[in-house]
Amino acid sequence: MSLGPSPESGKPEAAAIRRLCESIRGLAPLARSLAAPDPSRSAWHDELFVKLEPQTAGEPMLVVAVCGGTNTGKSLIANALAGSAISRSSPEAARTRHPVASLPRGFSDPAAVARFFPGFDVVRLAGEDDPLVDGAAHRLFWREDASGRQPPRLVLLDTPDVDGTLRDNWRRAELVRSACDLIVAVLTQQKYNDAAVREFFTAAAAAGKAVVVVFNMLEWPAQASVIGGWLETFRRQTGLDPIAVYAAPWNRDRASQGGIDFFEVAADAARDPSSAVLSAADLVERLTRSDFDAIKRAAIAGSLAIVLDEAAGGPHWLETIELQAARWREARRILIEEAQVKAHLPAAPREVVWNEIWKWLEPRRSRFDLAVSGAYRIAGSGVAWLGRRIGLLRDEAGKRGDFASEELAGLKTAMGDFLDRLDDACRRDELVRSVLGPRLVQGDRGAWFVELERRHAALPLVSEDYRTFVRGELDRFAASRPDTVGWILTGLNVGAIVRPAVTVGLGLAGAAAVPAAAATAGGLTALAHHVGDVVVGAVASIAGEGALELTTSGLKPLLESLFAGWSVRRCDLLASTLRDVVLGDSLEEIDRRAAAASDPRIAEARAAIRALAGGGGG
Amino acid sequence: MKTNTGDATGPGAAHEAGDGASADQLLAFDAFVGSVDRWARSFPQWPPAVRIEEEWAAVGPRLAAVRGELARVLVVGVLGGTGTGKSTLVNALAGSEVTAAGDVARPTTTRPVVVAGPQVDCGWLPIERWGAKLVRSDSAAVAEIVLVDCPDPDTQGRADAATDDANRNRDLLEQVLPECDVLLVVSTAQKYRSWAVAREIVEFAPGRPVLFVQTHASRDFDIRDDWRRELERQGFDVPGIHRIDGVEAIRRAAAGLPPDEGFSRLLESIRTELAGRAARRVRRTGAGDLAQWFFRQASASLAGVRRPVEEFVRGVARERSRLETVLGGGLRRRLEGSGASWRRRIVAETIDSWQGGPFAAFLRAVAAVARFWPGREAASIADNGLAESEIEQSRSILVGLAARAAIAEPLVGRARLPEERAEVVAREVQLRTAGWLSAGVDALSASRRDRPSSTLLHVACEVVFGGLLLVVLFRAGWSFFHDRLWKGMPTDTGGFLWESLFWVAVCGLALRWLVVAVVGRGLDRDVSSLLARLPESRCVDPAITDFAAAADGAAEFIAESDRLTAEASSLTMGMADPSVSLGRLKRPPSEQGEG
Repeated sequence: MSLGPSPESGKPEAAAIRRLCESIRGLAPLARSLAAPDPSRSAWHDELFVKLEPQTAGEPMLVVAVCGGTNTGKSLIANALAGSAISRSSPEAARTRHPVASLPRGFSDPAAVARFFPGFDVVRLAGEDDPLVDGAAHRLFWREDASGRQPPRLVLLDTPDVDGTLRDNWRRAELVRSACDLIVAVLTQQKYNDAAVREFFTAAAAAGKAVVVVFNMLEWPAQASVIGGWLETFRRQTGLDPIAVYAAPWNRDRASQGGIDFFEVAADAARDPSSAVLSAADLVERLTRSDFDAIKRAAIAGSLAIVLDEAAGGPHWLETIELQAARWREARRILIEEAQVKAHLPAAPREVVWNEIWKWLEPRRSRFDLAVSGAYRIAGSGVAWLGRRIGLLRDEAGKRGDFASEELAGLKTAMGDFLDRLDDACRRDELVRSVLGPRLVQGDRGAWFVELERRHAALPLVSEDYRTFVRGELDRFAASRPDTVGWILTGLNVGAIVRPAVTVGLGLAGAAAVPAAAATAGGLTALAHHVGDVVVGAVASIAGEGALELTTSGLKPLLESLFAGWSVRRCDLLASTLRDVVLGDSLEEIDRRAAAASDPRIAEARAAIRALAGGGGG
Repeated sequence: MKTNTGDATGPGAAHEAGDGASADQLLAFDAFVGSVDRWARSFPQWPPAVRIEEEWAAVGPRLAAVRGELARVLVVGVLGGTGTGKSTLVNALAGSEVTAAGDVARPTTTRPVVVAGPQVDCGWLPIERWGAKLVRSDSAAVAEIVLVDCPDPDTQGRADAATDDANRNRDLLEQVLPECDVLLVVSTAQKYRSWAVAREIVEFAPGRPVLFVQTHASRDFDIRDDWRRELERQGFDVPGIHRIDGVEAIRRAAAGLPPDEGFSRLLESIRTELAGRAARRVRRTGAGDLAQWFFRQASASLAGVRRPVEEFVRGVARERSRLETVLGGGLRRRLEGSGASWRRRIVAETIDSWQGGPFAAFLRAVAAVARFWPGREAASIADNGLAESEIEQSRSILVGLAARAAIAEPLVGRARLPEERAEVVAREVQLRTAGWLSAGVDALSASRRDRPSSTLLHVACEVVFGGLLLVVLFRAGWSFFHDRLWKGMPTDTGGFLWESLFWVAVCGLALRWLVVAVVGRGLDRDVSSLLARLPESRCVDPAITDFAAAADGAAEFIAESDRLTAEASSLTMGMADPSVSLGRLKRPPSEQGEG
């Protein structure tokens, strides 16, 4: 018997396979977060985890599975081969819902069985009806060989159908196909050329499985002459080269007693069909005489070829991950490009900035200066009072009210525009849509605007932050100019009516080529920043010659920055509202995904594949 | 259309005793098909409606044709997996070998075979396009039906599987089945749970009654109970399944024996349920099922958007009233800010209506002088009624609600109106507001003018003012005629006249002040009630017309679908007949999917 001690040759290969399995497992969460295709249903993934990985642990077994379409007599044949009923056979189709394994005597370690059939809940068979019970979980039932004629290290399986209306059955048959080394293909005159059956066995051929064909339910010997044609069609369509072909005549009475007669059919099918009758036991005996090592080697080589296949295997999957990461980078670029709006807010009320500067100036001015400007202030307030009385000037509260409502209008418009732009970005890019779409569509926009109003109402006209900013700017300016005070007073009178343009957008602090870790720190975030050139233009046109004069003294940039600084702080309100109620952590999410291409786990998986390919060649 | 049944065709054919459906019913059905047709196209560009329209493009013509083809002989497509004995059954029914059957190679049938009686006109069938063979048969079984032996659905590989390029059987089958009225589904113990076959049957079963037949009776177990369970899971109503053996039937026919029990039952079913007069019933049943099936699909398409559309409709109403509140608030502030000019205008209108009398003349004179006094025009109050930002806020909120209901551009616009459109909207809102306001103010002053107290006030003023003038005139006349002419007293006439004129003027102005106070009483209350009626004015509608139209369109589309669904079930209830063995697809498949 060739079921002797088995190949030790695969040891270095085993290490490489385990390394690849580890790295693929490690990559799975990343692939999921990138919305890259799920590999767990692809052939290479099955071969790697269902076939190759189990082979690297424990003693190698030869797994033989009986596969075929609904109601073609799979269970009867499996029972006959096992020498006793392992699976209830039924006249109704598609009744076997879960695979059943018959294990050789002495091999009944549930953990070892579970290792052999990943993807299944492995359960000890309690009754013949167990495999017929419906259920969403992929179960595999097992029991020890009852007849005692099963050779050691041979596992025999009955599998669900490959063509019925219950798709779960197909999946279970596929998992068994990946796990096994040898398939007993049960074909009938009705089904040998069905597309579903062909597809199943085409995949088996690609995976290098050894196949024994049994033509079942034959009118014997009437149909003996046509089998040759059927076999030829089947071989041509699937690319399989069966190691043996048998014919099993239709005899329901004998079959139900576990007896099936097999007639050997020559592979070229041109022979006289009246060869000797074989019993199921003879068939098993013949199977055990075949070269198990060769079958195993072929199966492993076939699995490796599928796993390493550039166009459809593991390398292809890695490519799709990288491709997906590149699409996320593109999504990020589109988002930055689309999601920015100019907020048109009213200029800072002149006295706001003036008051701050005044507070800064106070301790630095001469007594005379103070007295003069104090007198001006009194006179000025008198004029203002008169103006208000006759209705030419609005009072302070009214002015504040006007300013607040104008500013709120500007903020609302900017928010509406920003949402428009986000909608556009979603339309342009599917991945942006996948992250932001649900927020934009399901979010309560009315509440967002209410929140903006609430925050605006709660915002003091001058924040502590702005005070610090003004003092800092003025100190810096004063340090470089000796005649600061005079200049500032002149400047305030001339160049104060500035209307800065502030952009609210998705900025990125870290710029492009940053390492993955740093990219998160300097990533996308909603922020407000002012656009310098627009501010300069506004100063020149409004303040006229006076402003030009100021340019020479360097005061203009100071005033610009004081006014713009105030406006930026107002716009920050919008940026923070967007961040808190609209965008949430979705920007960080997109950042993380865009940086995924440089993830070391991808390089590691590539290296593992190279190692396996190199080892496999040697 | 010529048929071998001898039935008259045309509208008159519907008046048949025992037919089950009156001409009225058929006319109602036609009208119904017409209204479904209009409905299915009524709201283009909305994805759920587009799906429905596409579905209708396939279903509509079939329903529209029902009446015209009512009397035509039925086309029965024989369908089933390869090797189940379709061709054998067709041969058995045709009484001779009209199509090749056998086990030499799968598939056996690669081109359809049409079997018809010698008299039946098959001109309308696209036999040449199918590459089919037409065979005439004298057999009684096919005398009043057209039988089509179809290629199998299960030997052609998936489009992406590069196995056998030559096999196009499923493509061919999908060309043949649309022309069939009834499906005769043949299966065996091996094939009745085949996914590839089940998918094809379910695809073509809507509106096509199905006759189920298990073949290979002499070899296979009777699996009809299990098959029925499987079919019911797929959504079929299955009154009965036949079980026959085609080979045996042919053998008995050749030997001159009468058909066995199973086969004679099948022949009986064909004779009573498909042939001749039964054809009308089958077509009507099919049409009714098809209509119901269509509406089930339609309601599935709409199920996900029902609530979002309701929310969207409510959202449009909410935003409209929000904008109205904003507009009303602005108007109120402006009205209050220029209260004096309003008062002036209303008083002026009231006074304008006073004709004749010295006081009226006096008031006109005052008004003529007052015209030189600068004053704000009332119309300017309607300016800038609605801020752009408020419009954008509402539109942005509505964009979100619309997106939830799958409504997007071009059905609705963006939150930000394009420049020129924004101008148009602003102008329109302003025009509407101004128009509404001036109409409201006109009504206000008219109501004041026509108040009875107004006339009374006028009369009273005229009396007082006229009396004063009379006193002055009498005093002047007395001093001229009595004092000067009669007594010859020297008088200071000029001084008195100036003096009295002054007092007349003072008195007139005092009266005018009184009139203004009386007429202007309660004006603030009236302005409030005027503003409360702002929502009726629809002033803000131009800002959100696209959203309002889309919301109404979608809601109307859904409401109409409910109405038509109810109509469909009440119409088809009377048209369908229970059948002994014809199965019908009635429900969507339960739990475990077809993939």
